[in-house]
Amino acid sequence: MSVLAVIPMAALLLGVIIQLTCGHFFSRRVKGWLAFICCLVGFAAIMTMIPTISSGKVIDVTLFSWDKSLPFQYHIDGLSIIFALIATGIGSAVLLYSVAYMAHEQDGVTRFYALMLVFIAGFVNLVCSGNLLLIYFSWEVIGLCSYFLVGFWYKESKSVNGARKVLIMTHIPGYGLLIAVLLLFSRSGTFLWTDPNLVVSFTTGIFLLMLFAAMAKSVMYPLHTWIPEAMNAPTPVSALLHSACYVTAGVYLIARMYSFSVPGIHWPMAWNTLIMIIGCITMVVGALFAIKQTDLKRLLAFSTISQLGYIIAGLGLGTSFGVAAALFYCFSHGLFKGTLFLCAGAVQQATGTRDMSKLGGLAKVMPNTSRIWIVVTAAIVGVPLTNGFVAKWFLYDAALASGQWIVLIIAWLVSTLTAFYMLKATVSVFYGDMPDWLKQHQVKEAPFLMQMGMAVLAILCIIFGLAPQILTQWVIAPGVKALGFSWNLSFTWLGIQTTSNSFYGAAGVAIVVLALVIGWIIYRLMQPRAISSPSANVFTGGDPLPADDSVGTVDFADLAESSFQPIYKAVDPDPAYLLAWTGIKKLSSVTHRILQSIEDHPFISTIILAVILFSVVWLI
Amino acid sequence: MTMTVLTGINWNVTFSIFFIVLIASIAVYSWVVPQGNKRWWGLALLLSVLVLVALQPVSELVRMLLLDAASFVAVALVWGQSLLAAKAAKTYLWLLILAVLCVGAGLYLAGILGGAALTQPGIVETRLVVGLLIVGFAIKFALFPLYFWLPNVAKTTSPMTTVLIVGILDIAEFVELASLRLTIPWVFDGYKILWLILALISMFGGALMALAQRDLKRMLAFSTIDDMGYLLLGVLIGSSMGFTGAMIGALCHALFKVMLFGSVGIAEKGSGGPITLDNRGLSSRFPISGAAFIIGALGIIGIPPLFGFVGRWRLYLAGIQYGGIGLGLAMAGASALTIIYYVRAIHKVWLGPQQEDGPVTKKEPKIAVIVLIVLIAAALFLGLFPGFVFRQV
Repeated sequence: MSVLAVIPMAALLLGVIIQLTCGHFFSRRVKGWLAFICCLVGFAAIMTMIPTISSGKVIDVTLFSWDKSLPFQYHIDGLSIIFALIATGIGSAVLLYSVAYMAHEQDGVTRFYALMLVFIAGFVNLVCSGNLLLIYFSWEVIGLCSYFLVGFWYKESKSVNGARKVLIMTHIPGYGLLIAVLLLFSRSGTFLWTDPNLVVSFTTGIFLLMLFAAMAKSVMYPLHTWIPEAMNAPTPVSALLHSACYVTAGVYLIARMYSFSVPGIHWPMAWNTLIMIIGCITMVVGALFAIKQTDLKRLLAFSTISQLGYIIAGLGLGTSFGVAAALFYCFSHGLFKGTLFLCAGAVQQATGTRDMSKLGGLAKVMPNTSRIWIVVTAAIVGVPLTNGFVAKWFLYDAALASGQWIVLIIAWLVSTLTAFYMLKATVSVFYGDMPDWLKQHQVKEAPFLMQMGMAVLAILCIIFGLAPQILTQWVIAPGVKALGFSWNLSFTWLGIQTTSNSFYGAAGVAIVVLALVIGWIIYRLMQPRAISSPSANVFTGGDPLPADDSVGTVDFADLAESSFQPIYKAVDPDPAYLLAWTGIKKLSSVTHRILQSIEDHPFISTIILAVILFSVVWLI
Repeated sequence: MTMTVLTGINWNVTFSIFFIVLIASIAVYSWVVPQGNKRWWGLALLLSVLVLVALQPVSELVRMLLLDAASFVAVALVWGQSLLAAKAAKTYLWLLILAVLCVGAGLYLAGILGGAALTQPGIVETRLVVGLLIVGFAIKFALFPLYFWLPNVAKTTSPMTTVLIVGILDIAEFVELASLRLTIPWVFDGYKILWLILALISMFGGALMALAQRDLKRMLAFSTIDDMGYLLLGVLIGSSMGFTGAMIGALCHALFKVMLFGSVGIAEKGSGGPITLDNRGLSSRFPISGAAFIIGALGIIGIPPLFGFVGRWRLYLAGIQYGGIGLGLAMAGASALTIIYYVRAIHKVWLGPQQEDGPVTKKEPKIAVIVLIVLIAAALFLGLFPGFVFRQV
């Protein structure tokens, strides 16, 4: 089993070495296939560990002495497996998509695949490491990969500006994790989080430092503002890093903190409250900002913020069910949000824009992409039969079971907002009439490999929506148990929980779902064969709109802008960061001005300062 | 107690090997990116030999004399470059004389130069020695606010001249200071707060001044001042962790300064003028130099997986063990400032679209590029497998 633990890293790093040493001899497609195969091997190795982990065992491997006496040690448990599966599984699909997506890129393809593989390896190392210092090490490695990948088109201002923000806003809070790890070491004498001595050393201060670092990585309010700027990266980067992996590193850290303590004893309720508050605020802010976006990827970025709020709030519930819901949500989010980003990339590649106000009617020319989009949109909105529904259902149920009504109400309201902005995106991009400029553009369906990458993830959204018990039994349950919670939950088809009071409610929902499906079938059978125009007739509040006019993205955005303007202004933390930056710059200028005049007379200044220093020594 | 006993690593051997590799890199680089005339080569060779001999197990007196001699060679190295450089060299010379006198007098009073070091002299002698050594070393290392010689030396001389001073000579002098920390601990132990303030002021002051610079070489000079603050902190704390962190940090400083100044040197040569924040998109024309600058900057900040992290986490740990979370947060704050000014330089000068009205440029010299690539690979290898190096020494 210890060999299996090494295979994912070995395969990924081998891929990096081959890319860097032999990339010169390969075509762009071959590089893509190579990266995909390496990642797939890693995914297969992790899959083979699932039976061992789900039987309650852990895999401990010490590979080598990394730094003097510090071991490079893996401790693979249920939680590690969940995140490693996300990284390598979604990573494989994204790399498959990239084979076609990057085939037209002129420069930097080797760099792209090498960085993607290093990123996945870093993430796997992060979640498998038993050594806290190496967790920080991997934390920063994936941070650097994100920086370089966001700035992939380094000759373009937008890309490098986004990359700069990513680095500054995620690296600086990362010091919180480093200081926390070093404080833990200085108190307990160990870097191994599996060491029982760690429990008594894990104090509120350390918890807050780690939470601070996690908030920046996982785009929690108010440290979330880097992610919309990171959207100028190639789409596979957005799909893998900014929906499935990178942003879930903070989720992993918050979940892992349960392992450092004994819930209920060394884990005060106040910590849970704080996590829940952060989660709830984040889900609301993300959704509100998503509504006003007209850029498809920026909308998805804000949606990621909102969805991560759900996950964090679930973790904050601090119960077995809450943690299970959060982990299930995290897995599901990786699948549907990753696919949404891939679809957005396909649209951008086909049309040359991601501005929703310029798009429309793409369902006719990109039918498969639009079908996939519909499936995953249904998932994120929480339509039954998809994994998104099950995830939301679990979360509501968990909040209900732990008496957190406020979390439940906020989550439910935000779900409504989610449906609102996703509907806006769907209608704006895929339905209505195609704009004239786009008709001349000769838009084509995404290449087959890109469709494959998207379809695999979309199919998994449905599979885990229909039979979530596959995931809960084999993957989620070991993850929950690894954090010290007991597992006494049981799920059946569609996510109906058979061990809680909500069984009857869930059964009711199942009946409603059935009724909806039957209704839809009847509707399809009864409707006329030919539909003249897909445009919807809407009530405008006055005279009907002309035939070629309809309510579009800009109308939605304007409505949101005007309705929520005071909120947008009040909750945007960027002005505060700008103020801090201006303050630092001013301080630097003042310091420079003062010292510049002294610097012009170096000898006399040195003598005076030396005398002052000498006097201080004398006075101490 | 020696540093080898305290840390379990033979630093003389480590620094000697490291410096030989770096000096060889500087020589190869200077061969294709000229740094000076024949006189420059002679002086650079002399400086290198003096430093390498000083790193061998010789008496404190001999080591001090060798390093002081090397410092005066460095002044000569700067003097010969240009009229502006001569002016900077003059300042350097006067301040160096002051520093040498202070350190020499301090060590003499401490008994180091006369034979056996004093174990604990009287209060007046202690104050005198501490005052002289603090002032002397602060000038030598250009600690804030006694840094006046360094920025103009860096601005007016060729990049590798500056590297020989701040990456080789200063680091060798720093090893000397670290050795004194163990020989005459009373100089540090009774005055820890003062040394600590000096270290913190250097970190913050250096970083703030670096942020205010427009000339990249001046910015790198202030970055040296900033970095010396961390190294001083590690030595001052005096624990095994602090020492090891400071020594590894010193190695990193030397390595990354070669990369940083080296990349600026290539861009200067290619564009025919000094590199300032007004330059744009240099990575398009000098991609490897741009990559080396970015890696050098990230390495000196101490971001994994580069070698800088191996020293930096130890310094943080030593800081936390000595000064608790407060000192840890202060160090993190200084690092945040460091990353701000480096990222500003990276994004203003190297990344982004090319300057349309920029000067006609030459290509990157292949051999210099190979040197930078080798150093990047070394920084990565040492960061990924530091245990490998420790096992060898």
